[in-house]
Amino acid sequence: MVLGGILSRLFSQDVSPNVVKETKEVINTCNKLIEDRVSRNFAIVHLLGKQWRVTDGDLLVVEGHWPPNIGDQIRLDKVLLAATKDFSLIGRPLVQPGLVNVTATVISKGLSHTKTHFKKKRRKQYMKIHFQRLPQTMLRINNVEITNRINEAPKNVY
Amino acid sequence: MSNSNLFLKSGFVRAPLQNGVGRYVCQLQRIVLKFCKSHGGSRGMRDFIEQDLVDFARDNPSVVVYLKPRRHRSPVVVAEYLNGDRVWMSMQNKTQSEITKWIENMRTQQGDLSAVRLRKYQYTDHPSIQGPWTPFTFKNPELNVAKLPNPKFGANDRLPMSATEQLRIMFEKQRISKEEVKEEKKEE
Repeated sequence: MVLGGILSRLFSQDVSPNVVKETKEVINTCNKLIEDRVSRNFAIVHLLGKQWRVTDGDLLVVEGHWPPNIGDQIRLDKVLLAATKDFSLIGRPLVQPGLVNVTATVISKGLSHTKTHFKKKRRKQYMKIHFQRLPQTMLRINNVEITNRINEAPKNVY
Repeated sequence: MSNSNLFLKSGFVRAPLQNGVGRYVCQLQRIVLKFCKSHGGSRGMRDFIEQDLVDFARDNPSVVVYLKPRRHRSPVVVAEYLNGDRVWMSMQNKTQSEITKWIENMRTQQGDLSAVRLRKYQYTDHPSIQGPWTPFTFKNPELNVAKLPNPKFGANDRLPMSATEQLRIMFEKQRISKEEVKEEKKEE
């Protein structure tokens, strides 16, 4: 996990005392922003092969077979990016485990409307119609929370 | 090809009554099973009622279950939801396991999902948190105070290099390298 933007570039170069000082200042400011809950958080989570930008109270519909049932509370662990209004934590590729907590409730599981897949090849006497109804699961994002302080040693929760 | 999509309503992702924020409420409220006691088409339905219905009712105390036997009519399940939707489904000639699956599907969905085509698969009240992107985000704010026209900002550097310019640069490079060679010879 690194701080995004300009800072990530600075880490790869040789580190002068000024840069170290500035980095620490930035990290302290970010930690303070997290503690004070200055603004709304959002995160980019990886879910069933798709990336979703989620924030508190969002609704998602994921398609395809998925075991969680209605009323289940789940944690979305694959967080690619977490951010507030003022800063972003960019994972490479994932933000360290335990730093960001994204929880969701499964609201509804059902089948979509009937989708028609019509295939035809001209002049080849070939025509097929497929009807399918995909399983749809609706999720409510309960909260997106940056729990730890930035730059703390990772707690290996897994 | 089916034209049923022509009259299909489209809609956006919604959940009734902020469902899932704080608490979760099962959206199925009432389910009516209509069946015949003698006909073969209701066989699966009768098996379901004999074997699974009591467990279903026990597991879902918030759902009201009605049984409606009727003579020589096909079996039907009607589910009613908190948002007012009513889903009617024929269970004619379906086996017990099929009926179990369909009823489970009716229990878990919120309203009549199959009646709408979703236009978006996500709903958010806060479409942008760090502010929407504009051509000026992450740009140097120097431009804000510059006096225009300004050669620094107004220069057209988007055109590709012309052939004449390329030739000139090649010529210059050659001349510089020749001069270097000459100087080296002089030093020797």
